[in-house]
Amino acid sequence: MNPFQLLQPETLEEALSLLNTDDPSVRPVAGGTALMLMMKSKVFTPHTLVSLQRLKPSLSGIRLDDAGDLHLGPLASLRDVERSPVVAEFTPVITQAMQTLSNVRVRNVATVGGHLAHGDPHMDLPPILMALDARVRISGQAGEREVALPEFLTGYYTTVLNPSELITDVVVPALPNGLSGTYLKYTALSADDWPMCGVAAFVRMQGGVVAEARVAVSAATERPVRLTGVESFLRGRRPAAEAFEEAAELAAAGVHPLADIRGSSGYKREIVKVCVRRALEQALAARTRNGGVAHE
Amino acid sequence: MAELQTIRFRLNGRPVELAVQPYETLVEALRRGFQMYSVRESCGQGLCGCCTVNVDGRAVSGCLYLAVLVDGCDVQTVEGLGTLNQLSPVQEAFVECEGFQCGFCTPGMIMMATQLLQENPDPTDEEIKHYMSGNLCRCAAYPEIIAAVHRAAEKLRAQTAAGNTPATAIMAQR
Repeated sequence: MNPFQLLQPETLEEALSLLNTDDPSVRPVAGGTALMLMMKSKVFTPHTLVSLQRLKPSLSGIRLDDAGDLHLGPLASLRDVERSPVVAEFTPVITQAMQTLSNVRVRNVATVGGHLAHGDPHMDLPPILMALDARVRISGQAGEREVALPEFLTGYYTTVLNPSELITDVVVPALPNGLSGTYLKYTALSADDWPMCGVAAFVRMQGGVVAEARVAVSAATERPVRLTGVESFLRGRRPAAEAFEEAAELAAAGVHPLADIRGSSGYKREIVKVCVRRALEQALAARTRNGGVAHE
Repeated sequence: MAELQTIRFRLNGRPVELAVQPYETLVEALRRGFQMYSVRESCGQGLCGCCTVNVDGRAVSGCLYLAVLVDGCDVQTVEGLGTLNQLSPVQEAFVECEGFQCGFCTPGMIMMATQLLQENPDPTDEEIKHYMSGNLCRCAAYPEIIAAVHRAAEKLRAQTAAGNTPATAIMAQR
């Protein structure tokens, strides 16, 4: 790795002031699992890193607020999320998605905030959080703002974060009663590889028809996307095989997969179709077992 | 330019200090400063588990962890579990079940199995495979490794039945 200096602020204010510089090589680091790989391969050669580790006690809480909204502290580790009874009670879809993400050591260190700020489209939480209408709270010298996930993730490894801003909270609104879901990921190489396609699907039934559907696709696309066209297509329909089949066709037609070592664009489009159909079936079936995750 | 930073931490229960570069990884520092040669960099990407080290009770990949960040922490390597003459129950189980061939991945396997058994004293085959999926054995001694984890679980249960706490049971009994 290239030589760099590491600053270890004790407070959020101190961290924000250290990041408030015109020097583009000054960057924050949380768990560092992704950044270390980028530094080792010299994709990223910082002169100064601002470690957020000492902020962990104040920014790693996982709790429900009075309105029933879930708050994930940005410095909570993915393992903290995986083992949190609060999260499991809120939705087992998040808990189970964490269990199939990389390995225990990475989850012990990688953080929720880093997972989002990295902007890597292969991450597992973003499509789930996006389907759950999560918002990211951001602090900077100029003050605070809150951004919904679709606006937060602006593209391939890019987010709406300014270099001098930090995530201070991730808020998932209380789920409507009866919403069941799944996160389905397809890995083209080894089982613990980054996914080639990830689909988060949630459904809420009323009177035998779909009252609400939420579908987000990640990994195959340059950033996670909510498939609002698919969602409105499903609304009011009976959850029959033909409807899910048609929804899956719509999903495949609406995404623009990137070709890479995990597959060509056309192949990924086909996988998106299969995964969306299966995810919808599983989301519906999950009504009886309160959510779940499938790994293909 | 970066300056050396002196870090103080507990290594296998003993207070130590070391001057490290801010960009030095934990595996580099433990080998350079303390001859902890059980901690091995193999893939360098957090995938293989050969550099598994415990920091404040949590297994981490030493190759992806900056050494400066263990300042003030409790660090444990396989050297802290037992010695050649007095192996820990997990180490004994790996020997008895021949849970290795070349042995390169073994320290990481033992660190990870030790943590697994602290969290789950009686894991199934599936739970062992899932928990240890981030530890690779290129000799493919996987069936023996799984048998060793089961054997270690039995030993630890016997220890706790005899009145040892789970935290002391995992250490070599002196």
